[in-house]
Amino acid sequence: MVGLVGRLWNLQYKSIVKEASGKALAVAKFFCVLHVTNTYLCTFALAYGPNMVLTFNLTGDMFLAERLSIKFGKVGPGDIVLLRYPESPRKVMVKCLLGLESHSVTYVVDPMKSDRRDTVVVPKGHVWVEGDNIYNSRDSRQFGPVPYGLLEGKVFCKIWPPKEFGSLMKSGMKDPDL
Amino acid sequence: MRLLSYMGQWKSAAKEVLDRTAIVAKFLCLLHVTNNYLCSPTLVYGPSMLPTLNLTGDVVLAEHVSHRIGKVGTGDVVLVRSPVDPRRILTKRVVGMEGDTVSFYVDPMYSQTTVVPKGHVWIQGDNTYASSDSRHFGSVPYGLIQGKVFFRESNELRITRF
Repeated sequence: MVGLVGRLWNLQYKSIVKEASGKALAVAKFFCVLHVTNTYLCTFALAYGPNMVLTFNLTGDMFLAERLSIKFGKVGPGDIVLLRYPESPRKVMVKCLLGLESHSVTYVVDPMKSDRRDTVVVPKGHVWVEGDNIYNSRDSRQFGPVPYGLLEGKVFCKIWPPKEFGSLMKSGMKDPDL
Repeated sequence: MRLLSYMGQWKSAAKEVLDRTAIVAKFLCLLHVTNNYLCSPTLVYGPSMLPTLNLTGDVVLAEHVSHRIGKVGTGDVVLVRSPVDPRRILTKRVVGMEGDTVSFYVDPMYSQTTVVPKGHVWIQGDNTYASSDSRHFGSVPYGLIQGKVFFRESNELRITRF
């Protein structure tokens, strides 16, 4: 009698465990696919803060950034890019790319104080990034050209708020040919 | 009639091919995840890390966990993406972390001292005579570190631990 109950219990238990592990595996596979897409294809992020005020709102906008262009070297001046902070490797920021290697970039050194401009040639393997809002943005004007290896993605589409949904191919900031 | 049986054979063959491909794909995914996030064998070559690593090539094991949790420090041999050519990965030793003061010889007579800025590291090859490193391109942002080398398999039967 006890043996029969024991056997019935084993049977139920086994099937429950089998079903649970099957579901867990399916969830794990889904997360894997999500992770691969996030890392190699396309990711979404939230941007907030004052330094890209012409393109993004102060309080936060969500956008999609794709990772393929960076890996194939298809970024150019005028693109909005996602990159790691050179000073804090765990933080990521959104800026406008203004110059690739060996480009000559002219920038306003300190727009709050004067109109003085400076020209710099971007060294090999680096890029020059600036925020749209040059009055309140920490970018290449403070920490210099950034190695290309720190670029994480190219922003191509804004998805939130819904009334501003749309493609963001080039920044409407200023003439990148300066 | 024969057409139907051919189609049936095709279907089962196609299903088997798909199953096998799925197994291979899952294995490659697992390999890829291990390589990127845990540990990977890498072939390194070049004169800049003599005598620690060979000129003609050494297979080393590099782990990719430490740099994500901030456990890379002075004296570690690391794989770092070159700031000069983003497609190359260099093997160098970390000589200074952020805030450290580093002295190095620009030429045999003249030495220079710099402070490593926040979020950066100073890397140098062990063979300072034939290495292009932070003495030439400056401090490297920590975000460019790809992994830490912890094991070397050498051609002789001796295995060196770092």
